[in-house]
Amino acid sequence: MHITEGFLPPLHAAAWTAVSLPFVAVSVYRVNRLMREKPEIKLLLAASGAFAFVISALKLPSVTGSCSHATGTGLGAILFGPSVMALLGTIVLAFQAMLLAHGGITTLGANVFSMAIVGPWVAYVVLRAAQGLQAPLAFSVFLAAMLGDWATYLTTAGQLALAFSDPISGVAGSFLKFAGVFAPTQLPLAVVEGLLTVVIVNFLREYSSDELRNLRFLPKTLVSEVRL
Amino acid sequence: MKARNSWLLALAVAFILASVLVGSRREGAEFAGTDGQAMAAVATLSPDYQPWFDFIWEPPPEVASGLFALQAALGAGVLGYYLGFKRGQRQGQRKRSDAGD
Repeated sequence: MHITEGFLPPLHAAAWTAVSLPFVAVSVYRVNRLMREKPEIKLLLAASGAFAFVISALKLPSVTGSCSHATGTGLGAILFGPSVMALLGTIVLAFQAMLLAHGGITTLGANVFSMAIVGPWVAYVVLRAAQGLQAPLAFSVFLAAMLGDWATYLTTAGQLALAFSDPISGVAGSFLKFAGVFAPTQLPLAVVEGLLTVVIVNFLREYSSDELRNLRFLPKTLVSEVRL
Repeated sequence: MKARNSWLLALAVAFILASVLVGSRREGAEFAGTDGQAMAAVATLSPDYQPWFDFIWEPPPEVASGLFALQAALGAGVLGYYLGFKRGQRQGQRKRSDAGD
C-alpha cells in the first residue's frame, strides 16, 4: 500500500495531504489528552504502535507468488478508537519514507489516508457492527482487523486509479487493475493479521484488565468479559 | 487463553507456509512486492508519467535490509517488553496474595 515517492501527480499528492492533515491533527490532540488524563495507559499505547511497527516491517509471501505486508493498525483502533491511530500510523509511514525509501514524503498524505485513517476506521466500524450483532468477541476482532487491512489496500488502489485512469476503461478500469495487483495477494495476509490481532487481544483480556477498564472507546463486552 | 493463543499462532504460521507453497508453484513466482508491481502498472497505464520527486535519501540495499530488521526489532522489542511486564505484574500479584499480603 506504499505509493512510491513521486508516483502521485503534484495535485493529487497535495490533495491527499490536505485530506489527511486534519485527521492527524485531531489524532495528536487525542493522544495528548489520553496520555494526560490516563497516564497508566501510555505503555499499552506504545505497545499498540509497536505492533503496527513490527507487522508492517515484515513482508510476507502470498498465494499469488508476490509479497506484501500487513498494516497492524486494527489493534490500536479497537483499543483506543480510530482517531488515535492516525498519529501512530503516520509515525510508522514517516519512518519508512525517510529511512527505508519505502513510500515517500510527497505520497505520505495518501499513504497516511489509506493505512492510518481508512484502515482504522473500517476496523472500528466493523468491530462495533459485529458486536451489535452479538458476534463472539474474538470473531469480531478478527473480522475488524482483517477488513481494515483489506480496506487499506483497496484505498491505495482507488488513489492510484484516480491519478492514473485507464485510457479506455477510465478510472473504474484502472481501479480494477490496481485492485487486481493488491487484493489477491492481500487475501491471506489479512487473515494472518486478523489472527495475530486476536492473539494480542486475548492476552490483554487476561493480563491487562486494569488498563482495558480505563478505555472509554472499548466495546462493553471486551471489558465485562475480563476476568477479575 | 494460552491454549487458544497457541492454536491461533499455529494457524497463522500454517497460513503463511501454505501461502509460500501455493505461491511458489505459480509460474514466474518471484515473490516481488505488490507495491513495486503497482508502480509498474502505473508505467503501463501512463507510459509518459515521470515521477517528479525522488527519495531524499535511499539506503544501499544491504543497509536497507538492516533498517527493515531494525524496524521489526524496535516494534517486537517494545511489544515484548509490554507483554512480559504485564505477565510478571500478574504473577507478582498472585505471589503476594498467596503470602497473605
